[in-house]
Amino acid sequence: MNEVLPVIEVRDLHKSFDGVEVLKGIDFDVNRGQIISIIGSSGSGKSTLLRCINWLEEPDSGSIRIVGDRVGIRADGKTPMSEKELASVRARAAMVFQSFNLWPHLSVLHNVTEAPVHVQGVNKDEAIAQAEVWLERVGMLVKKDAYPWTLSGGQKQRVAIARALAMNPEVILFDEPTSALDPELVGEVQGVIGELAADNFTMVIVTHEMDFARTISNEVVFIDKGVVVEQAAPEKFFGDPDTERLRQFVSRYR
Amino acid sequence: MDWNAWITLFEGAWVTLWISGISIALGIVAGFGVAVLRNARIPVISKFLYYYISIIRATPMVTLVLFLFVTAPYLPIDIDRWIIAVAALTINTTAFNAEIWRSALATFSREQVEAAKAAGMTRRVMLRRIMLPQMMITSLPGLVNEMTLLIKSSPAIAMVGLADLTRITNRITAVTYEPLPPILAAAALYILMIGALVRLQRVADKYARRLAM
Repeated sequence: MNEVLPVIEVRDLHKSFDGVEVLKGIDFDVNRGQIISIIGSSGSGKSTLLRCINWLEEPDSGSIRIVGDRVGIRADGKTPMSEKELASVRARAAMVFQSFNLWPHLSVLHNVTEAPVHVQGVNKDEAIAQAEVWLERVGMLVKKDAYPWTLSGGQKQRVAIARALAMNPEVILFDEPTSALDPELVGEVQGVIGELAADNFTMVIVTHEMDFARTISNEVVFIDKGVVVEQAAPEKFFGDPDTERLRQFVSRYR
Repeated sequence: MDWNAWITLFEGAWVTLWISGISIALGIVAGFGVAVLRNARIPVISKFLYYYISIIRATPMVTLVLFLFVTAPYLPIDIDRWIIAVAALTINTTAFNAEIWRSALATFSREQVEAAKAAGMTRRVMLRRIMLPQMMITSLPGLVNEMTLLIKSSPAIAMVGLADLTRITNRITAVTYEPLPPILAAAALYILMIGALVRLQRVADKYARRLAM
């Protein structure tokens, strides 16, 4: 049953900030195993869309479902979720932030075990064993006892990715994961995300890195002025776009 | 000063120490509660706490002690003067601590809060696991400062007849007719107490470096 439902289903999503409409009716699906990149110029609404998916921003209207379950609003379509309900649906989508957002008072290992132990109720030893597996995957196991302030940006982001993986989410949402990194550190983070892509983790990646979007994604979405302008496989998206707007946008990055 | 005078002086210091100590402990916890409640913006409670803090900040400790002392007889139960002293100091320090905690809440990293929400934490879990451990460190200098102010205003409890460190110097002088030695000795003891508290701030400094990402 779950296999046929989209992991994320966004319908007619609207969101305004101070009277300025940032999202103007977005429809957007992510299926299991898909890696979707969202590109668009600054202020196009792409980050807002991502942040609405786990209700960090509350949309004005429209619906979001994660594997069939409404986010933010109860099944009746109008009652806002209680804090507990919202927390549990949020945990099904993990997020990796532009500025890493690690918890500085916790070691690398405990950043990763925090949600499994204190949100999902996983046994502590089990959570540690699992966290070590994820840290090994992102190449940060050697730093498991280090504190975030001792790490480089690329290392922090790799820990943040392990933290996201440790929640066993249905989907990982990446909000410009390499934008805050020094250029020479971008590669190590993209490499880690690329390995996850090869293992068919379901991922949505908001990014400015065109080459990265092209090589990693099954589909690329172009958002401009609050609407989805075009969505296509990378070859078509970058090679033969349908719309003039995307053609112009892509050509600027050649 | 002879041995007896010193023993009397230490007894006074002990009164200051334990009454202040209990009030500090209660006041830190209660202050946190007040700050969280105010932050929750519950209509009537929020307004009430706002007035509580404003009034207490404007009220001298001596006045507060006297107020509790003269109103206590109207209560249906008998209230010990120790309780009046602890209550006065706690009511006072809670108000100041609440402001310290509130500013720590207000300035807490939005990024970390978002990471906690995205990880599925409820506000309660986030407060306990993410915010409080860091706020304890960032607030400690302010809290220690408030602790030292509390100890220094604690002689007000002599108004209800308790022989604290300052009050006791009068009693020693009444016997020895030499006011200076007991006052100097009392000052030295205050400095010791406050010096011990200031050491706490160094603990905060040690951990604060981690938090400055």
